[in-house]
Amino acid sequence: MLDVLRARADWIVGLALAVALAVLLIATGEEKALVIGTTTGSAYGMVALGLVLVYKSSGVFNFAQGEFGTVALYALYMLDFEVNYWLALLGAVVVAAMMGFLTERIVVRPLFEAPRVILLVATAGVALLAIGVQIWFGDAQGKPIAKGFDRVDRVKVFGVQVPDQQLWLIAMLAVLAIVLGLFFTRTNLGLAIVGASQEPTATELVGISVRRLSSFVWVVAAVLGAFAALIAVPNGGSFAPGIMTTSFLIPAFTAAVLGGMTSLPGAFLGGVLIGIVQSVATTAPLFEDIPGTKETLVVFVVLLVVLVIRPQGLLGKGSA
Amino acid sequence: MALLEIEELRVGYGFPVLMGISFEVEEGETAVLFGLNGAGKTTTVASIAGLLKPDSGVIRFDGEDVAGRPPTKLVSKGISLVPEGRRVFPALSVGNNLRLGAWSRRRHRNEIDERRQLVFDYFPRLAERADQAAGTLSGGEQQMLAIGRALMCKPRLLLIDEASLGLSPALAKTVFQVVKRINEDGVTVVIVEQNVGVLPYADRALIMEKGTLIFSGVGDEIQHANLRETYLGGDH
Ligand SMILES: Nc1ncnc2c1ncn2[C@@H]1O[C@H](COP(=O)(O)OP(=O)(O)OP(=O)(O)O)[C@@H](O)[C@H]1O
Ligand SMILES: [Mg+2]
Repeated sequence: MLDVLRARADWIVGLALAVALAVLLIATGEEKALVIGTTTGSAYGMVALGLVLVYKSSGVFNFAQGEFGTVALYALYMLDFEVNYWLALLGAVVVAAMMGFLTERIVVRPLFEAPRVILLVATAGVALLAIGVQIWFGDAQGKPIAKGFDRVDRVKVFGVQVPDQQLWLIAMLAVLAIVLGLFFTRTNLGLAIVGASQEPTATELVGISVRRLSSFVWVVAAVLGAFAALIAVPNGGSFAPGIMTTSFLIPAFTAAVLGGMTSLPGAFLGGVLIGIVQSVATTAPLFEDIPGTKETLVVFVVLLVVLVIRPQGLLGKGSA
Repeated sequence: MALLEIEELRVGYGFPVLMGISFEVEEGETAVLFGLNGAGKTTTVASIAGLLKPDSGVIRFDGEDVAGRPPTKLVSKGISLVPEGRRVFPALSVGNNLRLGAWSRRRHRNEIDERRQLVFDYFPRLAERADQAAGTLSGGEQQMLAIGRALMCKPRLLLIDEASLGLSPALAKTVFQVVKRINEDGVTVVIVEQNVGVLPYADRALIMEKGTLIFSGVGDEIQHANLRETYLGGDH
């Protein structure tokens, strides 16, 4: 019995934290922060999942993780002129997946044996290149982006008026989280990715090509980045070159660190946590007097505190 | 024709380690590979399993030269290695470790269930712990899991690198007995050992020293007590 509990420890701790936080926020009348924070936070969580997956498989922090998302947004923006919104969304995900695949083939694979620092710089290069192409395609200005749901009718959740779109997003996020959870615990491919991240040699020995798995991991990471961007950004109404790098990469990195850079559920829950903390910090009357962009500040504070107090992450198990 | 034929195998890590070794293992045998630390035992079995590319020489499996092929190809041909240090997937359950072991046969669902049953039959302890994360198993249980995982691909040749390392003498004996059963069920076994307690279970003994093979014998000649003193040093 105790063994079973221990094996699920990260889930139990994470869920307990989440429930406690939700109760606290509702009790103190911060439901709005809870709802908004959960949506943005889930997007952070997905980018963080992408970071952790690539970190486990290629041993590198992927600076290009954010730009998979921005490129998806550009694809959505351009396809939206041509086709139905939903087709455009699908197209955007496909474009991001292709970018992930090509990044692995052209940049990561040739550097398979190279020191990780070189690969790190190479991923930063991919991010810069992507931002450059975005600027070249349009200009450095923000662009309006269509919403899937323009209707004005609103629903109340915990007494908060929530736009339809937000509800859809939360539903989609819940489904995605479940699908990802099942993928990594129930499918051969998902189990292989988890296995390869810990024991590459044993993975080869059971007949799985770790290199081939690597391109798949990069595609999954890119798709996660695209989901995050497509879910969180159109909600705000506009976007600009590099937006996923400037406003999502650092919170997502913080979320990944919260999960110890190795725990997949930890990274996702970490993202939700950061989203809620950020949203409380920006709306709560308590912090009203602090000037400046509190969103960024609060993320840095969390990052610093975690790195100093628990570098192995909230849910990490000792050395990573 | 022997199932495994090694001819003039040379392997190194930028510098030579195996200096051209040759030996054969007949189908249905259990062969033990002895040698002191650094003799090149791990290098030998890792090369047979495809983890290392030989500089020269022949590794013939079932009549076909497979030297230099990647492990993914060799697994489907029926060569399976239990690597040094066990290397179970710590975050995955015992059941999922076995499931990944059957990756090369993942299309044959019924067969996978049969294999799992067989592994549980060899190691009942694993059945009790099917849902436990492999990283939380004891060292002995991890060794059983590593062997079980290597059996899931239905190998014809099972290579085991240091089965008894870190096990109590009693547990080492249990593992040797199971290996004998596996062998009797039709799997050819090559087992790397430093523990001469394995000798009663072996048909063939090979002894390595500094990258060369210095002894190869079968049957009664390997059960002689002075084998231990002559080749393995008195302290074993
Ligand atoms: N990855 C490696 N890189 C460089 N040299 C290596 C590597 N692996 C092994 N060697 C060297 O090759 C030689 C043979 O090593 P090997 O691991 O095959 O020995 P072994 O017989 O398995 O020893 P042990 O009983 O300690 O496991 C040793 O001198 C070792 O230092
Ligand atoms: Mg060895």
